Amino acid sequence: MKVEIDRRPIGIIIASKSFRPVFFLTIGLLFYYLINLPTPEGLTIQGQRALSLFAVCLVLWVTGMLPLAITSLMAIVAVPLLGILDNKETYALFGNEAVFFILGAFILSGAVMHSGLSGRIALTIMNRFGSTPKGLLISIFFLAAVLSFFMSEHAVAAMLFPIVLEIAKSLNLRPGISNYGKSLFIALAWGCIIGGVATFLGGARVPLAVGMLKEATGINIGFFEYSIVVFPTVLIMLLAGYLWLTRFFPQDIEDIHMAKAVFERKIKGLGKIGYAEYAVGVLMVLTVFLWLFFGRIIGIANIAIVAVVALFILKLVRWKDIEEYVNWGIILMYGGAITLGASLEKSGAATWLANTVIGTWANSPFLVIALLSLSTILLTEGMSNAAVIAVLLPVGIGIAGKFNIDPKIITYAIAIPAGLAFCFPMSTPANAIAVSSGYITTKDMTKAGILMMIIAWIVFIIVAKVYWPMVGVKF
Amino acid sequence: MADGRGKILITVSYQLNAKKLTMKNILLILSTSRTSQNAIEYAVSLAKKEKAKLVVLYIIETELTNEIFDKFTDIGFIGDKPSTQLAEAIMKEYRQRGYEEMGKVQIRAMEENVDFDAVTTLGDFIEKALEIIERYKVDTAIAIKRKRSAFLKYFSKSMVDELVERAPCKVEVFEE
Repeated sequence: MKVEIDRRPIGIIIASKSFRPVFFLTIGLLFYYLINLPTPEGLTIQGQRALSLFAVCLVLWVTGMLPLAITSLMAIVAVPLLGILDNKETYALFGNEAVFFILGAFILSGAVMHSGLSGRIALTIMNRFGSTPKGLLISIFFLAAVLSFFMSEHAVAAMLFPIVLEIAKSLNLRPGISNYGKSLFIALAWGCIIGGVATFLGGARVPLAVGMLKEATGINIGFFEYSIVVFPTVLIMLLAGYLWLTRFFPQDIEDIHMAKAVFERKIKGLGKIGYAEYAVGVLMVLTVFLWLFFGRIIGIANIAIVAVVALFILKLVRWKDIEEYVNWGIILMYGGAITLGASLEKSGAATWLANTVIGTWANSPFLVIALLSLSTILLTEGMSNAAVIAVLLPVGIGIAGKFNIDPKIITYAIAIPAGLAFCFPMSTPANAIAVSSGYITTKDMTKAGILMMIIAWIVFIIVAKVYWPMVGVKF
Repeated sequence: MADGRGKILITVSYQLNAKKLTMKNILLILSTSRTSQNAIEYAVSLAKKEKAKLVVLYIIETELTNEIFDKFTDIGFIGDKPSTQLAEAIMKEYRQRGYEEMGKVQIRAMEENVDFDAVTTLGDFIEKALEIIERYKVDTAIAIKRKRSAFLKYFSKSMVDELVERAPCKVEVFEE
């Protein structure tokens, strides 16, 4: 019970009050300094400029001082202004296939949510399998994961959160105290995170990585090809996640009949399944089928856009509905990241960086993959998944050239671990929402998440070493 | 996003003795992230000792829900509708917790025969606390401060510290 006087040095007080302008001034000075350094041997002027711009974007993406999409937008403008690439080439990169695939996937995901189909599936599964505490926990965990195979994991977290919150309240679980309450919200977050890496659709970061790879090297990775490579990691992580979750938060509840009442009331409120839900469901299944088996022939972006057009032909959604579910910033983010990645590659900066700086700490392809995946998994805990890919992949592709590794492998080594962020609320929206419930604290999440992060890395490495060669991914 | 920033949600009041016009006012400030059983007990006992009215303010901080909204739109790239629905679900939960917390204080105040007023509001912690201090001409305010690391203390000032500086009355701080 005392009045505290701010006794910090006056410089610190002024800096804390004027942090934002000081930050941007420092960024400006850093850029000015980097761009005016003597050009190192082996690096072109364009390469130096691309690297300076990359450094600025890196800082902005890590700190989040600007929205991710705005940082990307800045990169798009800066690339031609700095003479790294010309206008035509820069803006052509913006129209990358990955950008249109993601756009289509987000619109489809919005239609599934708008029709109420995703909510109905979630409630039906929880009602069917959630008769015991263990069954309910498993159904939330696996449901979040499986839905994230087909929709953005963030959208799945947003959709399931109010249901899980209502379950917790109906069971009178005490926020911050009940172990079962903690495990329910962690199951939601981890389910979305693990499921989100399974396909191109979950985290939406994989198409970004694939788009960057294609622009830089001309090599493509198909929807099916990716899913085959990643699936064992997802299955093992789901199993490990469930075991660790139930061990870390031992069940402290026996009766969950009140939760059943919530499901039944909500399902009753939904009424009978209608035309829109049926039609959106069929369209989604058909689209995923085409992505999986005809993606290489027809093109995944083409399939996505045709499916979107079909939504409107069948009058399943209105444009206004879609606008409410899709954040157009994603186009800027992806377009900018792909442009920046391509400018690093085309100017020779990525190769120079890999040869002179980063390539020195590894001496075998396996070690490169192990270290890259470790760096990715550590970085993704502190910054946006998509930003991690935007930052690491151009360098990774450069390293692939130095060690004669297939750039696809490097893409897997970055794109898969980039989604596995378990420790902090800032890591990913699913974690943030779990903590905001008040049922779980940041401390609980960090303690449980650190082991999951270690497990994730070990599982990834083992799968890469043992399973990948079986499906033709050799290094 | 309709967060209803700054809107007074509910005011509950009962007075045991309406004749006490010159009665002192003691304000207990609770919020989404700042509640403490010790502070509640202290506030009730102080009000009883001083024969003062206990005003309890519960601030539903919109900062956290705004952060969640921003995270889902800026990083998750999901649209306004799901983000808003999410933020509303969180706000509803916080509001309910606020009412439960106020209920606890009300019961304690009634048990101790202490005059009691309750205000629940949405918005910025400092601004709302200062507004209620002014409105009720509060003599003593009781606030709860979250424990923070020495590092954080050095580089940023807590909201309660700022309230202590700006409040026109005495502010007693519980660190929990």
